[in-house]
Amino acid sequence: MNIFLQATFEGLSLGAVYSLVAIGFVLIFRATDVLSFAQPAMVVVGAGFISYFATQLGIPFIFAFIIGIILTGLLGFILERTFLRPMVGEPVFSVAVLTIGIDILLRVILDNWIGINPKYMGDPFPSYGNFGSLNIGGLTIKYLEVTALITSLILISILSVFFKRSKYGVAMRATSLDQEAALAQGINVGRVFGLVWFIAGLLAAFAGFFITGGFNTLTNTSFISALRALPAVVIGGLDSITGAIIGSLIIGLTQAYVGYYQFDIESAYNIKLGNGFSIVAPYLIMFVILLVKPHGLFGTEEVERV
Amino acid sequence: MSKRPDLFTSYQKEISIFPNNTQKFWFITLLIASIYVCFIASDYWLILLTNALLVSIAAWGLNIVSGLAGQINLAHGVFVGIGTYTSAVLGGVATRSVIGFELDLIIWLPLSGIAAALIGLIISPIAVRLKGLNLGLVTLAFVFIGAHFFNNMTFVTGGSGLGRKAAKLNIFGIDLNSGYQIGDFLIQKNQILYLISLLVAVLLGLGVKNLVRSKTGRAFAAIRDRDIAAEALGINLFKFKASALAISCFYGGVAGALLTTTFGGVEPGTFNLLYSILFIAIVIIGGAGTVLGPLFGAFFYVLFPAIIQYVVLSSNLSEQDLLITPQQIERIIFGLFIILFLIFEPRGLWGIWFRLRNYFKAWPFSY
Repeated sequence: MNIFLQATFEGLSLGAVYSLVAIGFVLIFRATDVLSFAQPAMVVVGAGFISYFATQLGIPFIFAFIIGIILTGLLGFILERTFLRPMVGEPVFSVAVLTIGIDILLRVILDNWIGINPKYMGDPFPSYGNFGSLNIGGLTIKYLEVTALITSLILISILSVFFKRSKYGVAMRATSLDQEAALAQGINVGRVFGLVWFIAGLLAAFAGFFITGGFNTLTNTSFISALRALPAVVIGGLDSITGAIIGSLIIGLTQAYVGYYQFDIESAYNIKLGNGFSIVAPYLIMFVILLVKPHGLFGTEEVERV
Repeated sequence: MSKRPDLFTSYQKEISIFPNNTQKFWFITLLIASIYVCFIASDYWLILLTNALLVSIAAWGLNIVSGLAGQINLAHGVFVGIGTYTSAVLGGVATRSVIGFELDLIIWLPLSGIAAALIGLIISPIAVRLKGLNLGLVTLAFVFIGAHFFNNMTFVTGGSGLGRKAAKLNIFGIDLNSGYQIGDFLIQKNQILYLISLLVAVLLGLGVKNLVRSKTGRAFAAIRDRDIAAEALGINLFKFKASALAISCFYGGVAGALLTTTFGGVEPGTFNLLYSILFIAIVIIGGAGTVLGPLFGAFFYVLFPAIIQYVVLSSNLSEQDLLITPQQIERIIFGLFIILFLIFEPRGLWGIWFRLRNYFKAWPFSY
């Protein structure tokens, strides 16, 4: 039972972090019709910024964190302006491949900076409690994970208020419904595009910190964790924020359960799932769900005409 | 009639593989030149050229399914991997950790293509059910599932980080692993591999050309342009989407089998996401949906890094002086080229070539 609770907690925390990346995906997809494969790279770039300011420049962590997050958001804004603006109206797949190009660019630069040694974030979390974790009735709860869960919840609620109440939130929703109609109503669609990429960048940087914070460290393979938000989005449906959150939780929980129970299942049924199965499991789930529901759990079905 | 190469008197003539004598002439000239290159080029360039030919075979495969039939496939590298390991198992040497049957190239080369095509057929129902971005995302899942299998089937792949040796080069029972002696003249293994690759590339290249002009090719193009309209016209979507995927996988498998044989060994980590994206990049840089495009793209991809290496080596900079390694420069330029080609020249190198050709056709008149 303890293992189950432990796995559930870690899964929820992971899922909450993935959901930040996933919401970025969905925002970009809904507002600009772009599936951004560059989002995982933004996640690690965000972590890289924070790590650079906190450990190499020695700025106090909290300021490094804020500067890193804003810089990542600005990076998203600049990327949209330079590379994606000329591609408005092009086929969806071409734009998606273009974001793969951006992803390669960002990651090569970042990998070069990271090098062989893992980078620490310079965050205070490992120094809290017992090596950054807290024992409650047999459960080991990491402060970082608790913070991730709470921060994600706060960010998601801020976003939902932003979409309902603020002027730009409503403009964004209008743009995602119909770009031309929004333009005709006097909404500056270009600015909305930029803003969406900015917000996605902010969220990616938050996720980047929680993925690489504490003892997890930033390495050349960190982006694989960030890429796991992609199956999460697909499970939920590419254009649904609720779907993105639920998909992320499914992915996070799966990963945690597989991590904790793989050995038991393997010995009980005498099968071998192989090393690193927890990396593949989310993709398997995505695979199955897409076969049953091609548009994801919460995605809107397209009506197609010739 | 021969003075008017663009005048076609019958449909058969218009859709023939070489519609005019100029194309026939250039094809034969290039073929002779590429055979001649085999005997004058140094080992380094020969291996590069072999590599370029094989990569273009794989890129042709992706071009059939993505460029021609319009089905996004982000997992082409996995099918190349399946071909690779089929060849390595059938043609490789068994050791304590991996299996191998030491068969003939005549057996393992087609079988590695067929094995990849079979896997493609098995997953094709998914490709038929989904389309557009969702299909792309499912194929992304294949990349990870494939990598998982490659890493864990150690008796086939040798396990991650270790890898295994590639297939041996026996043709018709003749051992060619240390070259072949004809009289006083020794043909090196590299030269043999180059010639085999050239032969296979020419055959498969003509195959693509032939496919494009056939009923199947036209059906693929119809599906790419609008699948619902194609279905309404009586094109069996399931059949043609599945066959496009299977043909594409066949090309990938054959290319994979020969690629590893050229390099001598393979490590399962090779077939990662970047490897699959590479082929997409090649098709886009070359020009999607065209026959020559993937060839241009592949040669560009293989020869461009060699030029960068050459420039870096010939300049007096040491590795420490540069901020990034040549491999990283390569990747950055590759990423930039994907972006720039998509923005400024969506038809790729083929589009540039097409405009150049038309310019010189009418030269010195610009209209």
